[in-house]
Amino acid sequence: MNDFFCETQNLAMGYGKAPLAEAIALGVRRGQILTLIGPNGAGKSTLLKTLAGQLAPLGGTVLLGGQDLAAYTGTARAQRLALMLPHTRRTELTTCFEFAAAGRIPYTGRLGILSEADKQAVRDALALVGASHLADRDFNCISDGQRQRILLARAICQQPEILLLDEPTSFLDIKGKIELLTILQKLAHQQHLAVIVSLHELDMAQKIADAVVCVSPQGVSGVLTAKEAFAPENIQALYDLSREQYEALFGPPKPPKPKFEHYVRSGQKLLRCGYTTGTCAALGAAGAARLLLTGTPPETVALRTPKGIVVEVAPLFCRKTDAGAECAIEKDGGDDVDVTTGLPVIASVALLPDTTDIRISGGKGVGRVTKPGLDQPVGEAAINHVPRQMIAEALKREAENACYTGGFAVTLSIKGGEEVAKRTFNPHIGVEGGLSVLGTSGIVEPMSQQAILDTIQLEMNQAALRAKAAPGPRRLILAPGNYGLDYLHGTYPEFAVLPVVKTSNFIGDTLDMAAAAGFEEVLLVGHVGKLVKLAGGIMNTHSHTADCRTELFCTHAALCGAPREVCASLMDAATTDACLEILDAAGLREPVLKSLLSAIQLHLDRRAAGAFRVGAILFSNQNGPLGQTEAAAQLLQHWKE
Amino acid sequence: MTSQKRLAAAYLLLALLLVILFAANIFWGSVALTPGAVVSALLGRGQDALSVGIITQLRLPRAVMVVLLGAALSAAGYLLQTFFANPIAGPFVMGISSGAKLAVALVMVVFLNRGLLTNSVTLILAAFAGAMAAMAFVLAVARRVQRMSILVICGIMIGYICSAITEFVVAFAQDSNIVNLHNWSQGSFSGMTWGNVRAAALVVLPVLAAAFCLSKPMSAYQMGEAYAQSVGVNVKRFSRALVLLSSLLAACVTAFAGPISFVGIAVPHLVKQLLGSAKPLYVLPGCCLGGAAFCLLCDLIARSLFAPTELSISAVTAVFGAPVVIGLLVRRDQEGAR
Repeated sequence: MNDFFCETQNLAMGYGKAPLAEAIALGVRRGQILTLIGPNGAGKSTLLKTLAGQLAPLGGTVLLGGQDLAAYTGTARAQRLALMLPHTRRTELTTCFEFAAAGRIPYTGRLGILSEADKQAVRDALALVGASHLADRDFNCISDGQRQRILLARAICQQPEILLLDEPTSFLDIKGKIELLTILQKLAHQQHLAVIVSLHELDMAQKIADAVVCVSPQGVSGVLTAKEAFAPENIQALYDLSREQYEALFGPPKPPKPKFEHYVRSGQKLLRCGYTTGTCAALGAAGAARLLLTGTPPETVALRTPKGIVVEVAPLFCRKTDAGAECAIEKDGGDDVDVTTGLPVIASVALLPDTTDIRISGGKGVGRVTKPGLDQPVGEAAINHVPRQMIAEALKREAENACYTGGFAVTLSIKGGEEVAKRTFNPHIGVEGGLSVLGTSGIVEPMSQQAILDTIQLEMNQAALRAKAAPGPRRLILAPGNYGLDYLHGTYPEFAVLPVVKTSNFIGDTLDMAAAAGFEEVLLVGHVGKLVKLAGGIMNTHSHTADCRTELFCTHAALCGAPREVCASLMDAATTDACLEILDAAGLREPVLKSLLSAIQLHLDRRAAGAFRVGAILFSNQNGPLGQTEAAAQLLQHWKE
Repeated sequence: MTSQKRLAAAYLLLALLLVILFAANIFWGSVALTPGAVVSALLGRGQDALSVGIITQLRLPRAVMVVLLGAALSAAGYLLQTFFANPIAGPFVMGISSGAKLAVALVMVVFLNRGLLTNSVTLILAAFAGAMAAMAFVLAVARRVQRMSILVICGIMIGYICSAITEFVVAFAQDSNIVNLHNWSQGSFSGMTWGNVRAAALVVLPVLAAAFCLSKPMSAYQMGEAYAQSVGVNVKRFSRALVLLSSLLAACVTAFAGPISFVGIAVPHLVKQLLGSAKPLYVLPGCCLGGAAFCLLCDLIARSLFAPTELSISAVTAVFGAPVVIGLLVRRDQEGAR
């Protein structure tokens, strides 16, 4: 379900019979400013009139508060929706107060006589737009800017939940434009109105838009983010501008300056790092908490990631809400552009003064765990434990700085996460309805294949140097990722002196490099989810290359005499941890793991081709150590001596 | 600005004017009567049958009729001005009075030629049909042109065409009726009977009440059609009602007194200036009071200036009304007509 206050469903609009635009699907939430941009005559005003019920749709429906707009009576509609059109009719002998008071028409009785409450509402509206001093002036004798304010006050007098404005800034000077748009922002973000406004000034539209819809002669776009809508290509296409015309107006395109500058060297190339969704969440929580505790929204927020690198960024926005405050941080994947890059991660924080708890929950765009075996239990929001710790730490630091002793409630949401998650593996692994908030180091290192292989080679060379310097046989530890390293250091602290190389998914390539570097004894430590693939001879464990995890579990279980039902449920399991649970239940864990480990040993030896002795240790986050291959057992014993 | 005090003072002034002029119309006439005779006739103690007759059968019904029709005329003007968003719209300049006049003339001639008598109901119906026909034409023009001056010129042209046809019809009428018809077509309050008064009151008073009930949507409509719609006014139904009511009022006046010029423009304008407000809720009652007083004054002048010869009422209203229209046009032009 979306929470649009006003939305269209397959709307067709226009005058007469031929529709001007069809299949319009847009929506606006309360508290949000939706701007309409596009060339003259493309249909912005027609769209607004259709949304306001002035023009009957040629097809489809407009929903206001979940109800068909056509089903509203005129008065009921006017109490929820106000339309501000440019005023053309000449008035006479009408004071600004009387003019604004016309907005009370949906509320007054048969003769339209204002009650004291009505008058107060008019005074409040005038005060809100900063025009109280104009109340007794004749509407004809004020400036254009003042007139627009009175028009706005009249619309506010309707006490609408949604406000539609048709080019309210035309004919205003720059100060007038800014003042008017500031009032709109106040209405949307403080009074929680939904605002739809058509604008010609792209620079201003860009500043105030929470969402954008482009109206062009070709049709009406869906709801875009400001970033998508104001991309040079889109603006050029929308207004039919040549590149020269565009650049004459907005200057030549500048490469966008990354907010976060940290690079990894990869061969001769520098790759920019990004930060994870978990880091975004923790930064957002810190920003929102600071706004709540100090009253001022922070310019930038910073934190030290588990990797030790400090990330400091400016929030997309940081503002108070009814319940607390919310702060949005844009996900930046660095040079590793993935689907989540550019999405705003929004942390809504409320103070819990009576407890010291920090409660973290998932909102819109954050997935929910539906299958066992993941980092979080079934039913929880897909926010992994490391980001949870990061959020808690960030909040504790904000609390300490502000001498606040209570707790916090944090709700994370990712704008557009629901849509984007469909393009990830989340639905397959049992995370439904959104993205996962994850990251163990807090930092995203760029992951182009050659860059990674280069990096591995580099690490391998360094490891070879270290091994050469040490006496005895040349020993090497390989781990696919951070999980493996953490496990290794936790379980075998005495091996900390040995050189370690992170293989990422390229286990086969790394083994080849190790052979070339002249290593003699190699121990591979990794999560069962990765290393079980080796049992099938899959030497690149990236899920793009092959998966086969459950198939391998299933085959080996079958070999060990598992009944058909167990095999079937193994095939259906979401994760390897889930497979293990099934095996436990069937009492087959030991034989199956043994069978798998010997298959792994077989494939490792085949790849090493006698260049060195190699063994593998498998573990899982949930089940701890799972076992080692034959060679690994010997190596461990050997190394410990 | 519209303080309650100013409104009360303005209404009081208008009411006072109305009472004084009403009294003047009763006391003053081509037949000189002493105030004592008039009072005793009014109180039903008149000894002289002639003077009682003059007062109760001539002056009193005429004055009451002038009050009714004056109110109707200026209210009709105000409704049309609101509808067309045009301060010089009115039943006369838009040609609506002339349309009614033509219809009434046709009916009168046809009926008289066949030796039938026309009664108030037939006249009002005929006038209404004529007014609606003219209105339909004006609306058709209004849909095509936005400039108010062109609209008014069209209205005046319709007026001329209708007058020409009326002259044509009159030429074919029987001689004895021409004088009567000629007087009527110039506009006059003379010869009103209590029966006429009753019939006019039956039309005018309910229509005025209905118009007053429309003052809320009217105030929204003053700010533009789209705006009225956006605050929940059913614009289609409202404009139909407005056209119907204003045509009824204009038709009723024309049926009894012939076309009367400029009252519909001058009075609403003067009343608005006096009240310092353009709100229909205040202006409509003001128009009724002001229109009645204005017509009483004009009728007084029309019948007493060259007594015993009566001037046509339009001749007098034009003298007072036309300068107001010219003033409005000049002011609009200076402000930059839209």
